[in-house]
Amino acid sequence: MRTIIFLCAMICMACTARRMPVTSENRTESAQLAHGRDKYMQYCQKCHPMGETGLGPALNNLPAPGFIKRFQVRHGLGAMPAFKQDVISRNDLNGIMRYMRSMKKSEKLPV
Amino acid sequence: MKYLALLCLLTGLYSCYGTRTSKGGGEISSPAPRTPNTADLVLPEGYTAEVLTTGLNFPTAMAFDEQGTPYVIEAGYSYGEIFTNPKLLKVANGKTTVVATGEKNGPWTGITFYKDNFYIAEGGQGEGGKILKVTADGKITALVKDLPGMADHHTNGPVVMNDHIYFAIGSATNAGVVGPDNADFGWLKRHPELHDIPCDDITLNGVNFETDNPLTADGKDKAVTGAYLPFNTAAKDGQVIKGKLPCTGSVLRIPVGGGKIQLVAWGLRNPYGLAVSPQGKLYVTENAADERGSRPLWGVGDVLWEVKDGTWYGWPDYSEGKPVKLFKTPGGTAVQTLLKNKPGNVPKPVAVLAVHSSSNGIDFSNNESFGYKGNAFIAQFGDMAPNVGKVLSPVGFKVVWVDVATGEVKDFAVNKGKKNGPASRLRTGGLERPVSVKFDPSGKALYIVDFGILRTTPEGQSVPVENSGVVWKITKR
Repeated sequence: MRTIIFLCAMICMACTARRMPVTSENRTESAQLAHGRDKYMQYCQKCHPMGETGLGPALNNLPAPGFIKRFQVRHGLGAMPAFKQDVISRNDLNGIMRYMRSMKKSEKLPV
Repeated sequence: MKYLALLCLLTGLYSCYGTRTSKGGGEISSPAPRTPNTADLVLPEGYTAEVLTTGLNFPTAMAFDEQGTPYVIEAGYSYGEIFTNPKLLKVANGKTTVVATGEKNGPWTGITFYKDNFYIAEGGQGEGGKILKVTADGKITALVKDLPGMADHHTNGPVVMNDHIYFAIGSATNAGVVGPDNADFGWLKRHPELHDIPCDDITLNGVNFETDNPLTADGKDKAVTGAYLPFNTAAKDGQVIKGKLPCTGSVLRIPVGGGKIQLVAWGLRNPYGLAVSPQGKLYVTENAADERGSRPLWGVGDVLWEVKDGTWYGWPDYSEGKPVKLFKTPGGTAVQTLLKNKPGNVPKPVAVLAVHSSSNGIDFSNNESFGYKGNAFIAQFGDMAPNVGKVLSPVGFKVVWVDVATGEVKDFAVNKGKKNGPASRLRTGGLERPVSVKFDPSGKALYIVDFGILRTTPEGQSVPVENSGVVWKITKR
């Protein structure tokens, strides 16, 4: 158990939530990713700006697997409200998850 | 199974909002003297920063004359009840010279140059807002005065479009009701008669709020206050508040030569930055409601709106285009609506920006060589936690760009560091509190006006540091 906790802590410490600024020109993305980005901007960005900590915690370095994140979106947790299917459809949530994965993969900010 | 339980536990603890303390950008004890250093900024690849000038006293905005000479205004007022004389400064070779000095009625929040003259929005914390015309030799004339700007928010803007000066007036209060939080700002004791003013007739639903009464010495004294009414004045169900101009939470205009005030749009909380896009459309940034006062709202993002004539944008019963019931403080009481009838249909925002980011000055790129053509740049002053509510980490303190077609928000200029935040908190030489952005007439350089250090105390008081303002210049290599 201690090993698992240690590994989780190391994962959190190793990842920076911050990503490099990008220009409008050097960004290419699929239509699916663009859809996810639009939905992220609509529902997530204001509390997790650029996937970083803000009103809510950072997402870019959150080690939880996708199904837990989906569970949290649907049911809320702590101060985070629940977003049911009539607000964020399954397709929209898939897009948001795709966009969040793309943010985690984008270039990290030097510290 | 135990791994799943562990992950759920970790996620739960990580998300336990109530147990975490506020870590706003200004929540520091004693900032070091400011030493701007462009190496501490991170920009997209291909862009470079330089320092134009330093040591400014609460700078808020810039303009360029026909020769492309930069000018900057100093506010003359800062939250924290610091009153000085606002100034229009000419910048040459990193040095500033005074062109005009205003009265202690700041903050001067915005400036634009049009046909040989400067036009300045004078906030009006002392005696009410004004739109000033300033000639090149520094002669100041008020084109309009006695605007409601003596409360929480001020007279903002201006921009010139279609031979009219467009400007904005912020709301008197956080969410429509005067309360003890307004005494904390300082103005309620000076002007207990102030309240919000609708631009058109509204009908109240009679909701009232009981609070402490900071206007009496008796600590047990209570006050009951309704919306759009002076402190300790109760509203009645069905009470009609007559609309009039000038009103609060609005975008207004006057002819460039001066004249009658015309209504453009209303139902905005604090419409701050105005800009005209390359397509000739007017946009405004709106500072959204805080978690404070008699009617706290939680989790409301700042908004970028396209301004359309005659539109009501929803405040105080809608934010981000959504009903306020969605913005209840965790563990708090339900947010009640104030208006019996909706004055109009609320439009959808162009973009929703970070909660408490204080998204302020805005400008558009219109030059391919700089890039981002047609996109908006917005200066984010940064959170004022804990006064505005709790944040888990500093929010804002950077410049973002917005694709107005999709609503996408991305970072443009940020500080280096493991976390976001102002330079004073990160102990670097980077951005402190960007308050406005302005492209030069060529469109090849973006200037960032950086207000300087403004820290906040655990009690929510603002403590600005004088002469810590900077102007940064960003160009593409």
